Amino acid sequence: MKLGGRRPPLAPDPDLIRSLAKLLDETGLTEIECSAGDQRIRVSRQAAAPAGAISAPAAAEKLAPPPAASNGAGHPGANGHDQPGTLKAPLVGIAYLAAEPGQPPYVRVGDTVAEGQTLMIIEAMKVMNQIRAPRAGKVSRVYISDSEPVEYGTALMLIE
Amino acid sequence: MFEKVLIANRGEIALRIHRACRDMGIKTVAVHSTADANAMNVRLADESVCIGPPPARASYLNIPSILSAATITGADAIHPGIGFLSENADFADVVLEHGFAFIGPKPDHIRVMGDKVRAKAAARELGMPTVPGSAGMLRNADEAIEAARAIGYPVLLKAVSGGGGRGMKLAHNDTDLRTLLPLAQAEAQAAFGDDSVYLERFLDRPRHIEIQLIGDGRGAVVHLGERDCSLQRHHQKILEETPSPGLDPAVRERIAGIAVNALEKLGYQSAGTIEFLYQDGEFYFIEMNTRLQVEHPISEMVSGIDLVREQLRIAAGAPLGYRQSDIQLRGHAIECRINAENPEDFRPSPGRISEYHAPGGPGIRVDSGLYQGYEVPPYYDSLISKLIVYGGDRDECLMRLRRALEEYVIGGIETTIPLHQRLAHAADFQRGAYDIGWLERFLGH
Repeated sequence: MKLGGRRPPLAPDPDLIRSLAKLLDETGLTEIECSAGDQRIRVSRQAAAPAGAISAPAAAEKLAPPPAASNGAGHPGANGHDQPGTLKAPLVGIAYLAAEPGQPPYVRVGDTVAEGQTLMIIEAMKVMNQIRAPRAGKVSRVYISDSEPVEYGTALMLIE
Repeated sequence: MFEKVLIANRGEIALRIHRACRDMGIKTVAVHSTADANAMNVRLADESVCIGPPPARASYLNIPSILSAATITGADAIHPGIGFLSENADFADVVLEHGFAFIGPKPDHIRVMGDKVRAKAAARELGMPTVPGSAGMLRNADEAIEAARAIGYPVLLKAVSGGGGRGMKLAHNDTDLRTLLPLAQAEAQAAFGDDSVYLERFLDRPRHIEIQLIGDGRGAVVHLGERDCSLQRHHQKILEETPSPGLDPAVRERIAGIAVNALEKLGYQSAGTIEFLYQDGEFYFIEMNTRLQVEHPISEMVSGIDLVREQLRIAAGAPLGYRQSDIQLRGHAIECRINAENPEDFRPSPGRISEYHAPGGPGIRVDSGLYQGYEVPPYYDSLISKLIVYGGDRDECLMRLRRALEEYVIGGIETTIPLHQRLAHAADFQRGAYDIGWLERFLGH
């Protein structure tokens, strides 16, 4: 998803990215994510196709790099996450991790969930759609933050 | 004027609308299925939202997802494009109810013109000539036969909720009609979820002539002349031109005047097209399309008016601001629809574009989202490019069309460019001597 209008664009901090990349090398990790306020930076080794891999007739630098795969059941989530157990958004809307503002979230990283348990809410056209666990497991990642707009296929959580 | 417009469509028309928006400094939001993540209109849009998987009913026809995308991106208007939700009055209603502007006609006008039986009645009331036909939907074979005898054979069975030629059957006598009625009903049910059909007299060699109109919703209406869309295969338009080589200026003035009067009475808003069959000096209303049309660029070429810009202006509440006498139609324009299809058997040919070179130079316009490396998805219609050619007169336009078709390179898939090359050299086409059955005879169907 390219979103421009709502939130200020993330100002890239080259020094921060460089130091995170170095940390990635030193630790042998494949991915580091850090956040401050509503800004997040994720540095990952499994980068998709490089931005220049697909040529465009004009204004190539203005174009978003296309995702590595364009369709099919196995395509990565819209935010690039693709592991077995990834729960993807079934509809477009605003994702809420808690029933109400200020309430504790439905689930946290490390929680064990039962099949059918409510994990979050996606609001679409003023309807609150409960997103339930497709199977039992342990929540090992939450990829989105509260009140974040999500598109179809956005990776929401990893349940292992 | 709007700050941000969500374009609820795909392909070349989504790109066309994006261009009009950007020409006016308006930001765009592209919504797309997973199959279109790499499409040019998505890559060029200021923002994009994936709204569903490849099947159109789960993405481009998914009203809740489109409205959610408009909400989360803060868009203030929605352009429905062509096809998909563009003639869905309920969609237009719900867009307005949610506080967005709908870039198109008033929902009630979409509703009336989308129902073929009501549309014909409305056309008659508005003073437009219509093809003799059954008064309403047919319940059984006896009723159909009675209506057909009153109209005169041959008759055409058509779906009440139909479009695009599906569900149509030609009957020459009572026996044909008895056999074909259940087939037409079944086809209408399968294609449109409604088995209502009606009858019309079948004209044997008409031209398809349509009038392009723009109204501001307050009674001001102008026309941009006609388009001749007689070159059709299986009721699908292949090539369109304006002006029609089959009309003289007096006839053109008469039918355009009738169309303008009708839409003034209606208080029509936005771009719209009234389609007629034309035979032996008479026009017969077929239908009104309450939306932009695929072939709109040829009217833009001869009038100098950007129809999408006009739609945006009018949806934002601006008056038309000019009169018929301000519009000068000059020169000649032809559009070739280039489809990802085998040029002989018309089998779809999706796949990766291995090389791409678009024609250019004087008088050439290409509306297409193709680029080298682009993958034409197999899920949607096969229109991949529109080649639009302008000339000072029809001869210059035809010469330039041949030149442009020689230049155009689309590698990796099959396209209908070779068909257009054959057409551009066909003697009947050069003379302008064709009707809506001509192309199928030419192709040997």
